[in-house]
Amino acid sequence: MTDVVELPPATRQFPIVDAVAPAERLAMFRILTAVFALAYLVIRLPVFLQLGDRSNGFEGVGLAALLDAPVPSAVIDATVAVTLLAGLGSIIGWRFRIVGPLFAFGMLALGSYRGSWGQLLHFENLMVLYLLIVALAPSADAWSLDSRRRRDGDRLSVESTAYGWPLALASLVLVITYVIAGVAKLRYGGLEWVFGDTLRNHVAYSAARLDLLGGSPAPFAGWGVRTEWIWPWVAAAAILIELSAPAALFGGRIRTAWVVAAWLMHIGILVFMLIGFPYPLFLVAFAPLYRIERLWTDRPSWLQRPDRQLEA
Amino acid sequence: MDRPARILITIGVVAALLAPVMLDRDSFPLSTYPMYSRARGDAVVFSTAQAVDTGGVTSALTLGVIGDSDDPLIVAGELRDAIREDRAPERCGEIARRAADWSGLPADAVAIEVVSERHDVVAQVEGQPSVIDRTVHASCEVRR
Repeated sequence: MTDVVELPPATRQFPIVDAVAPAERLAMFRILTAVFALAYLVIRLPVFLQLGDRSNGFEGVGLAALLDAPVPSAVIDATVAVTLLAGLGSIIGWRFRIVGPLFAFGMLALGSYRGSWGQLLHFENLMVLYLLIVALAPSADAWSLDSRRRRDGDRLSVESTAYGWPLALASLVLVITYVIAGVAKLRYGGLEWVFGDTLRNHVAYSAARLDLLGGSPAPFAGWGVRTEWIWPWVAAAAILIELSAPAALFGGRIRTAWVVAAWLMHIGILVFMLIGFPYPLFLVAFAPLYRIERLWTDRPSWLQRPDRQLEA
Repeated sequence: MDRPARILITIGVVAALLAPVMLDRDSFPLSTYPMYSRARGDAVVFSTAQAVDTGGVTSALTLGVIGDSDDPLIVAGELRDAIREDRAPERCGEIARRAADWSGLPADAVAIEVVSERHDVVAQVEGQPSVIDRTVHASCEVRR
């Protein structure tokens, strides 16, 4: 059980380190991030299992940088199996202090290993970073088998930095990753990225690549490439959205306006380039910015148990 | 966790996130997020594999046949690496074996070619002739 210590108001000076939240909010974050990551692992299971058959072109990144050569397929199979089980344990909050870190490090290891064959897939980064934060926080102090076993749920209704700070830290990670992406476009692409044909050419490139590899190009790629004038506006908007991500930390309407803009940007990437960033598209990326415990506490009456309705 | 520890960890996390940017080194899960950030012209070299019939006419394969994956980033990246590391003949053989089991392979296809093609991507998307030049890295027979 995590000690729940309320700070005197006078000491609350920094919005990130002194952020407070109820245990249920962090618990919902645990559930959302674990459900998403586990579903992702299950859906992509063939890809991860095939990693064990590879032998050429290995160049370790991330955690896999510790390896000099590919590992035997049995190691991959075992890592996948343990990660799957740990993912289930994380969702239900069973022995979370063990299974939480196991799941996070399992996903980190699998993501690192998959990225060690010449192609880094950046949409897994935030998913793993969130899992690491959740794993190292008291994320199973509510809505978990662990908390049921302890029967101490009543103590947890008080808000605490123990639950608020990890969520604020995840929010900070979110906005920094977007800012880095925006900076990268100006750093590597320069003003040409905004005012030139770069973005239009990227859209055409994605469509041509899919066509030449036997896939189906994005539905709006052809129209987009022909509508040349929109691209400087779209490019400027994309960079503005990415660089303005810290505004989301202010909360309220500014946060929601940024989230809507970022989500629409990802929808645009999907329909013009057929590149899906599932974490933001399914809104899990933006979860730490909101009072997400309300997804359950404010659920519709038809989702509530009959005995609770009677009690009310 | 007390406040100084939270401050230290927060600073450490921010520093870790910014380190790849400072070092200009992409990794996982800490990254420079360089995807689609480089300036790109309209002439681009693609690595792909194609079926070739007896008359030398080429036709497209599928992501699964070329790279045993449904992810174009992985398929393209691995084929590009195979060509760069002189493993194109080996990869060609793997593709030919998968192609032989593929129901969509044209009846008169006799070979697989692993190629690099330079395309005008805008012309390609608009359905106009787009191949600027073509290099065959490996060719191998399809045994049905």
